[in-house]
Amino acid sequence: MEGPLKELGRLEKLVSDSSWKGKTPSINDSLDSLLHSLREVKDRLQVGTATDETLTILSKTVETRKKEIDDRQKEVYNALAKMGKALDKKFHTPLPTYSPLFFSPEANAALERTIALHFLRTGQFNTAETFIEESSVDIDDDTRRQFKKLHEIVTALREQDIGPALQWAERNREFLHNRSSPLEFLLHRSRYLRFLTSNDARGQYAAIAYAQDHFPPFYGQHESEIRQLMGCLLYMPIWRLIASPYANLASPSLHLDLEPMFAKEYCASLGMSRQVPLRVVGDIGGGGALARIEKGRKVMRERKSEWSHSEELPIEIPLPPENRYHSIFACPVSKEQSTDQNPPMMMGCGHVITKDSLQKLSKPGGRVKCPYCPVESQLSSALRVHF
Amino acid sequence: MSANKLNTEGIMLFEQPFARVPYENYRKVFRTSQKNIEKELGAVQTAASDIAKRAKPESSDAEDAIKAVDGMITRVENLKRKLADLQSSSGAPTLGVMRERFQHLMSVETMQTTNDPEFPRWADTRLDRWLVDWSLRNGKEKTAKMIADDRGVERLVDIDLFSDIRRIEDALKQRSCAEALVWCSENKSALRKVKNTLEFDLRLQEYIELARAGKNIEAIAYSKRHLLPWQETHLPQIRQASALLCFPSTTTCSPYKRLYDLSRWHSLIQSFRLAFYNLSTLPSEPLLHLAMYAGLASLKLPACYDPQTKNVDCPVCDPSLGKLAEEVPFSHHVNSTIVCRLTGRIMDEDNKPMAFPNSGQVYSREALEDMATRNDGIVKDPQTGETCEFSALRRLFIS
Repeated sequence: MEGPLKELGRLEKLVSDSSWKGKTPSINDSLDSLLHSLREVKDRLQVGTATDETLTILSKTVETRKKEIDDRQKEVYNALAKMGKALDKKFHTPLPTYSPLFFSPEANAALERTIALHFLRTGQFNTAETFIEESSVDIDDDTRRQFKKLHEIVTALREQDIGPALQWAERNREFLHNRSSPLEFLLHRSRYLRFLTSNDARGQYAAIAYAQDHFPPFYGQHESEIRQLMGCLLYMPIWRLIASPYANLASPSLHLDLEPMFAKEYCASLGMSRQVPLRVVGDIGGGGALARIEKGRKVMRERKSEWSHSEELPIEIPLPPENRYHSIFACPVSKEQSTDQNPPMMMGCGHVITKDSLQKLSKPGGRVKCPYCPVESQLSSALRVHF
Repeated sequence: MSANKLNTEGIMLFEQPFARVPYENYRKVFRTSQKNIEKELGAVQTAASDIAKRAKPESSDAEDAIKAVDGMITRVENLKRKLADLQSSSGAPTLGVMRERFQHLMSVETMQTTNDPEFPRWADTRLDRWLVDWSLRNGKEKTAKMIADDRGVERLVDIDLFSDIRRIEDALKQRSCAEALVWCSENKSALRKVKNTLEFDLRLQEYIELARAGKNIEAIAYSKRHLLPWQETHLPQIRQASALLCFPSTTTCSPYKRLYDLSRWHSLIQSFRLAFYNLSTLPSEPLLHLAMYAGLASLKLPACYDPQTKNVDCPVCDPSLGKLAEEVPFSHHVNSTIVCRLTGRIMDEDNKPMAFPNSGQVYSREALEDMATRNDGIVKDPQTGETCEFSALRRLFIS
């Protein structure tokens, strides 16, 4: 954006009345000087010292001032035109035109629901209420309550109050255990560390008391971590801890990480995604996917071929690892994606190809030679694998 | 991972209207100032040359001359005030909006990856902007204002622009073309440049309404004045319109029945909207829709619609977003990517895939090792319940 910003700076100077001197005086100055001349002539007319010449000169003065002002306007006009060019250069591709999307009543309802949930999920409760009033979407009270609760607990965490989060974790201990989530322990750890690193001289004693009260049930699962936490006591106060082998435990990010971790577990317990779904979709779509799709379309148009099937994009959109939610198996032999009818099969040697390819490679007697290694195995011993 | 690198060009594809709208607004401010200057200074110039020619200051004409100069002073003072008002009420604020928006775009250009700590905030703001745009286009003005207020993005969204659209559309809904015609004349040259004929359609509608009311004389006069100038491009329509006067509004003769059809008002609203979007460089579809189209298509897989393979973390697996994704194509993949269903991580050389020997269920080594250490070396498949020693798991190779 350097280009447009530079032109903007020029334009701002041109239209401001500050002391900046351009090629031409500012319009305000020209008008002031014109007013001055006019008042002078009026005075002279009133006292009778004006001559024919006075008025001829006045007419000329008006001309001059008007020309000055016109020149200044021309400069502004040119600056605007230059900025327009800078913008053209920056934004050379217009946004594509699509036939109306998400237009059907069902799609519209789904979109409104998505947006309403987005407002709730991101804690914009007032906006959510207004939106629900302005649209036909209906979100049940339970869902609203769950989101409110999430927001309350996360807000508390942000204000260093782990109480509500801990309460929730205790109530959902079994769920967390099944997911092997360390959330409850990490909440206790956060409080322990806060006692330990507080400026209060009795902080250490409070920390020890807290550890005695709360750590024992976690000893089985977090033995080594508890040892480290207790080891921190040897390196008090905080400035010594920072230089100790336990420096990582002094990092403030330890406490900040609790917020996303809690949100993730809470959402999982309600069957909701760990990231805000609309943000994910928007970031991918607005982060290059649309540009790539359009480029693909353009290439296809230039080759005068339509997409072989419009049901699938003609090009691959790269996704960051955190946005890969499903396994994709593309057969290295046929390049086709596996399906239920044509599933991935593991041969005796461990290499995986799709069933169709396996069948094509089979030799009389039901033997298959792996195309990737020297091993030959029985067709019947191939194992259907599930990703 | 290179996929986390910010694709600035892809991001900027969406931002043209964001940068252009205040630019076009400022051009309008400039045109207004130019008009004022021409009008007032032109008059002063004429007055000055007039008195220079005519007056003999020593005679009684001095009175006249003083009056004339007074008039000139008033004009110049007026102009000065008008320009100052214009600058403080629209000029300066518009420049401020431009600066803020350009800098907002500049800030994302300087980020390298999506891991930049500033990026999430930037992306949040972008989504807020898209939601405001969507709400405004869908007549949810209160929501739009609420978002703008709550998130402090007033200067990054175009609420005023849309309230203009709303005002003119409401007038069209009340079957009045006047407001839309004013807009057309304000944007005459821009409309001509893109060969937009909205003005003719509006004029034709006013003519039809005269015909409907049986005011034939007025209709003919109107046609002469407002339709005839379009004869070069719209002669057939003008001819048809003339013949309309022979048919009552209850006619069943199809071409004329169509002209009388009240649904024409609805299409006028649509054409007005498109013309307005076009002139403001806004896309005809909401930005949110375009982003969602591309985002959903990038993620959509057959697996999203199979209850066996649904993943709560996947946006397309969400029932509502999945419904929307029905309108977009599936994503395309040339290479295999195997994602561990236990950890959500991608399996590769450092985190190899392992299969249970009987069920063929595949998980990452990382997840299975973790399970084994907690279970005395025994692993259990959560899908089928198959249990075995960690050492009995089979390695598999994906190429």
